[in-house]
Amino acid sequence: MSTDTQTIEMPFYSPQGNEESLFEHAYTNQLPVLLKGPTGSGKTRFISHMAAKLNVPLHTVSCHDDLTASDLVGRYLIGDGQTVWNDGPLTCAVRDGGICYLDEVVEARKDTTVVIHPLTDDRRILPIDRTGETLHAPDNFMLVVSYNPGYQSMMKGLKPSTRQRFISMSFNYLKPSQEQEVIEQETGIDAHMAKKLVAMANALRQLKDHDLEEGASTRLLVYTARLINSGFDPVEACLAGLIEPLSDEEDVVSALMEVVYASFGK
Amino acid sequence: MEEHVGQVWDKLVTRLSDKSFKDSVVTLAQISKPLGIFFRALGGDNALRIVESTATQHFAKRNWKHRVAGTGKYVELSWQDEDTLHLPKQINVFPDTALNKDLYYWLAAINAHTLENPSAKARGLQGWFVYSQKITVEVLERFPGLQSRYERLVKAYLQLRNIDEHFNEQEQSQEDAIAEALTKPGCIEQLPTSQYAPKPVLLWPHPNPPEVIDLSSRSKQPDSDAEGESEPSKPEQNKKENKRRNAERVDMPDGKDGLILHRFESIFGFSEFLNINRSTEDDDEADQDKADQNADDMDFLSVARDNKTKGGKVKFDLDLPAESIDEVVLESDVLLPEWDYKKQIMQKDFCSVINYVHNTGEEGKLPENLRRTAKRLRHQLESLTTKRIWHRHQSEGSELDLDAYINYMGERFSGHKVEQPDLYQQLRSTERDLSCLLLADFSLSTDTWLSNEARIIDVIRDSLFLFSESLQNTGDQFSIYGFSSRNRGHIRFNTLKTFEEKYNGIVRSRIQAIKPGFYTRMGAAIRYAAQKLEAQDTQQRLLLILTDGKPNDLDRYEGRYGVEDTRRAIHEAKSKGLQTFCITIDDQGGEYLPHIFGTNGFTIIRKPEHLPQKLPILYANLTTNPS
Repeated sequence: MSTDTQTIEMPFYSPQGNEESLFEHAYTNQLPVLLKGPTGSGKTRFISHMAAKLNVPLHTVSCHDDLTASDLVGRYLIGDGQTVWNDGPLTCAVRDGGICYLDEVVEARKDTTVVIHPLTDDRRILPIDRTGETLHAPDNFMLVVSYNPGYQSMMKGLKPSTRQRFISMSFNYLKPSQEQEVIEQETGIDAHMAKKLVAMANALRQLKDHDLEEGASTRLLVYTARLINSGFDPVEACLAGLIEPLSDEEDVVSALMEVVYASFGK
Repeated sequence: MEEHVGQVWDKLVTRLSDKSFKDSVVTLAQISKPLGIFFRALGGDNALRIVESTATQHFAKRNWKHRVAGTGKYVELSWQDEDTLHLPKQINVFPDTALNKDLYYWLAAINAHTLENPSAKARGLQGWFVYSQKITVEVLERFPGLQSRYERLVKAYLQLRNIDEHFNEQEQSQEDAIAEALTKPGCIEQLPTSQYAPKPVLLWPHPNPPEVIDLSSRSKQPDSDAEGESEPSKPEQNKKENKRRNAERVDMPDGKDGLILHRFESIFGFSEFLNINRSTEDDDEADQDKADQNADDMDFLSVARDNKTKGGKVKFDLDLPAESIDEVVLESDVLLPEWDYKKQIMQKDFCSVINYVHNTGEEGKLPENLRRTAKRLRHQLESLTTKRIWHRHQSEGSELDLDAYINYMGERFSGHKVEQPDLYQQLRSTERDLSCLLLADFSLSTDTWLSNEARIIDVIRDSLFLFSESLQNTGDQFSIYGFSSRNRGHIRFNTLKTFEEKYNGIVRSRIQAIKPGFYTRMGAAIRYAAQKLEAQDTQQRLLLILTDGKPNDLDRYEGRYGVEDTRRAIHEAKSKGLQTFCITIDDQGGEYLPHIFGTNGFTIIRKPEHLPQKLPILYANLTTNPS
């Protein structure tokens, strides 16, 4: 779990559509937002960008499968001879205002929905059983959750009752030209190389659902481009940055390397 | 003696004329998996199956060695049709294995690519010549990394291409044009003509791909009177080669116009129609082998269909839905849609499902031989019934673990210096709120014998027994259905246990009574099952599909059509929030299953006889949350 409150300079974000204005409208109308999309498609970047743009603090919680409601709300810790109440990240956000971003919310335990639900309807409250408090969210509080519809394990999914409490936005991979721009912007790599990388990533994405669980993300492309830009051999960089992260099976890796050779030569 | 000399001579000339390199051979079987991934990554269609191509006659001039040896008439090239990608069975053109492999990848690449301007794919020799260059240019443009590989291939290929060949002027200019077009693709627009067809170019697609009929498939004419007798095959019959033969479908000759006005000595060979009953099982396996061999030896097969089936008729009638008094129809004429991938439309109310239950009126008992396994499995699956319990001594938790705290404080006050132990407790519920629908395939293919004792249907029956036995104590909701179909109007849905019913003697007797029949129209069955499962009010809903092969039915529901419809049905089920998982014993399933069910949506049981024991365990693994 990481909680950070950051108001630094605006991170670079290249919009796919109308998501910025939609997000702004949701913010002014105090509506909670659900972001969905494959991993590395810019959900997290979008949120930091919007937080900076709206000039509100951002509280990020990366959810994991051991994350419980009390991790979000807070708990009593034992201090020197007494017990002390310690606010969780969600409580902090409700107290201070700002955007509370629950990343990969399906990963969290089911009981977390109990504390999320009252915050997402018009009550906008956070009841804390332990202390008997009921917090009312300030006007600039906004709850944002994200999830990746692609890889849910068999037993994990977002309940309809939870889904229907959010304004939803879909993220997808960028158009090739735009993705190329993003990669150049992020890493400073030359246009020719960026174009090759994007073409290759799109080839790999065709394999989603059939041979691979997930296509190569923009994030992986950026990593690979960084490796290449700092002078690492392109083919090796692709192996390390694009291929190995996608599959553990040896023959799949070697087949994917053929795709790399098809772009970079052998 | 004469025969011996003949054999030696044949060996000698064949070896002389054979320019391939035996040591560096690369076979399709070796690399079909990575090749498939490569093909799909470069834009090839996901639904295509990779098969070994048949050798096709190329009509080019052969050199004297080939003519003497009678070889070199045929060449294996690559092409694709609606649902298959044909690649050579093996490549041993180059002395270097790496080059042979490169050629495979190159062929996959050009087949994966679709021209930017598809109309350019012209027919005829000139069309092929232009098209081949164009596709080369476009592929190299899109994947510049292939350039060096292509150059290496061309260089090596041109060196080998014309060894032992003697060309006249016309042929030479044709050869030069081809060489030029290979080295600098896109530079020549016209292929000089000559008396012969040009020598086949192994780096280019097939000039005129044969139109292939899969001999193993039934007639595509929907609803013809011919009742497709399905083939209950024999054990170990699975050595079928992954190869298609050149064939055409012709009319059945009536045998009345067979007068040959020739002097017989002028006829070197002649072919005739043989009435062979190929649709049904051959009793003698050697017979089947011989037939396979004959089919391999023939250049071309013509198949006619006389719509007469011998013997099968009787069997078929026996298999007709015996509207026995035991069968109670629960629901009939349930209309369901079907997806037509060619037209990309959903055909409304296309299939009709009849849901029935087969009550024998007896109380069934668990077969004796399954008792021990059932007991063991029940025990194993008990762990699925977890209760909410307090986990003590946790580093994090919702409550203080008072015992731990008191101990800790006690020790501290008594002057011991102790590290702070884990002082929290957490109420963890691995509450299961799950319903599972098991949908089993009862098509006639399950009539196949696996061993001398058991058919597939017996294995399925045992699996259903053990599945129910193991689950009855876990508290998970489950229901069991079976399906088979005969055309779109008659999809039989056999209810063995509904969600509401208890697993008891009656259910056992229904499982005992299952029998194979008809075909596998999987899409409709999945849609109907999804409706049933959707009505369940649980958090997790799992649709388990148990099958032994591809979706297929009498009409056009086969090959890609069936696969695409089933895939569509699975997508619909998923969008309803159902989880789907397929368990199959079809070891050829690796080709089409990912397309239908997704990478992690299926498993193949290699040894069908293990299915009964494996199914409950698989279920447990599927439904246990690892966290």
